[in-house]
Amino acid sequence: MSRQVPSPATRREPPRPRASTAVCAVVGAAVMAAVDEIVFHQILAWHHFYDRSTPRIGLLSDGLLHTAELLALVAGFFLLADLRRRGALARPYAWSGFFLGLGGFQLFDGIVDHKVLRVHQIRYGVDTAPYDWAWNLGGLLLLLVGAGLALRARRLDHRLDRHPDGGADGGADRRGGGA
Amino acid sequence: MTPLHGHTGPVAVHAGPGLAEQLTAAAAVLATVAYLWAAARLRRRGDAWPRARDAWFACGGAALAWAAVGGLPGGPFTAHMTQHLVVGMAAPLLFVLARPFTLALRVLPPGPARRRLLALLHSGPAGLLLLPPATALLDVGGLWVLYRTDLFATTQRETLPHVLVHVHVLAAGMLFTLAVCRLEPVRRPWGLALRGGTLLAAGGAHAVLAKSLYAAPPPGTAYALADLRTGAQLMYYGGDLVEVALAVTLAVQWYTATGRARARALRRERSARIRAVA
Repeated sequence: MSRQVPSPATRREPPRPRASTAVCAVVGAAVMAAVDEIVFHQILAWHHFYDRSTPRIGLLSDGLLHTAELLALVAGFFLLADLRRRGALARPYAWSGFFLGLGGFQLFDGIVDHKVLRVHQIRYGVDTAPYDWAWNLGGLLLLLVGAGLALRARRLDHRLDRHPDGGADGGADRRGGGA
Repeated sequence: MTPLHGHTGPVAVHAGPGLAEQLTAAAAVLATVAYLWAAARLRRRGDAWPRARDAWFACGGAALAWAAVGGLPGGPFTAHMTQHLVVGMAAPLLFVLARPFTLALRVLPPGPARRRLLALLHSGPAGLLLLPPATALLDVGGLWVLYRTDLFATTQRETLPHVLVHVHVLAAGMLFTLAVCRLEPVRRPWGLALRGGTLLAAGGAHAVLAKSLYAAPPPGTAYALADLRTGAQLMYYGGDLVEVALAVTLAVQWYTATGRARARALRRERSARIRAVA
């Protein structure tokens, strides 16, 4: 512990890999939901605002999902700002969380919304199989990028542990995040 | 200009805005003048009162007056929905951000009027009315009743229900916004989880209602399909916009409160260390 007492404004907390991953996963999922809404609902108008074949529960889940996405976007950005303010943001973990969120949402949307609940399909009047494959494989790819970044983040931590001069102390706190 | 049918509101049936609309606009202007006067008085005696709040209130007053007497765009249902969004969501948010009750408490001299206002804000019924889920039920539940029963068709034919519904929409919108934002000194300062959860549930119910209007008009009405769909989309995306503004209000509160708590903890830690060294 240093003799000099840091001022509240500059005092940094140890990095929090778990929180960094989780917060950025929330932001990533919300961003992907917003992209889905803006690109596919509004610009391309491939699937619609309301699809007549929708069962009631699908409509309800869609409304809640939509609202949750907006609130999650706001909450995620403020939680991220809080981590940054504390100096507790572990950047490599944050990026992995962001991609895990992007891919996780897309895969969830592709499998649960499109196929299980059948809230809407990607496109109508055509064979949906190529669109479904592209959508779900895209989601899987993003998820794999996120997993790869999580592994990289952990490797970076181990390296810092072996050569502690290279980084901040508190290496034990940095481990244990990621998938 | 689209021709006006019998199933539009009194606004459209008569040549100009009706008496209720003119009274609403006058009340909005009067409230704004009173607010600005009170804020100016506070500043004259040396108190700080952010200018932004004056702007919020003035915008709210102007929006309400416009919704009452201004010419609203679009077909009859779209125009109704514009009015509904301004009266029930946008104006209440602008008014609540300006903290009119806090201003009134600060500008009133100590005495019976000030005591009565504080007693009202802290009273049991007010606490019940400002319970977040209760306000959501009054607000969004009221909308479900309005659009999914014959009530809406009735308000389009008769003046009294029309006026009462608009009074309810404004009052319920104010209560909901007050309860969710919690910027004023009220009886029970509800926590972030309850207020955020209420916002989520109310936003979801609002979105589902907007989507159902896109598919089917309120019973007993016959709007052009394009008009109905534009109106429903306006409700959906307009609702989103206000919802995000409410969420940002909550998030800013949380962010500043957390920052203050952290600064406090660090100060305490530092003084403890200084004492340990001495």
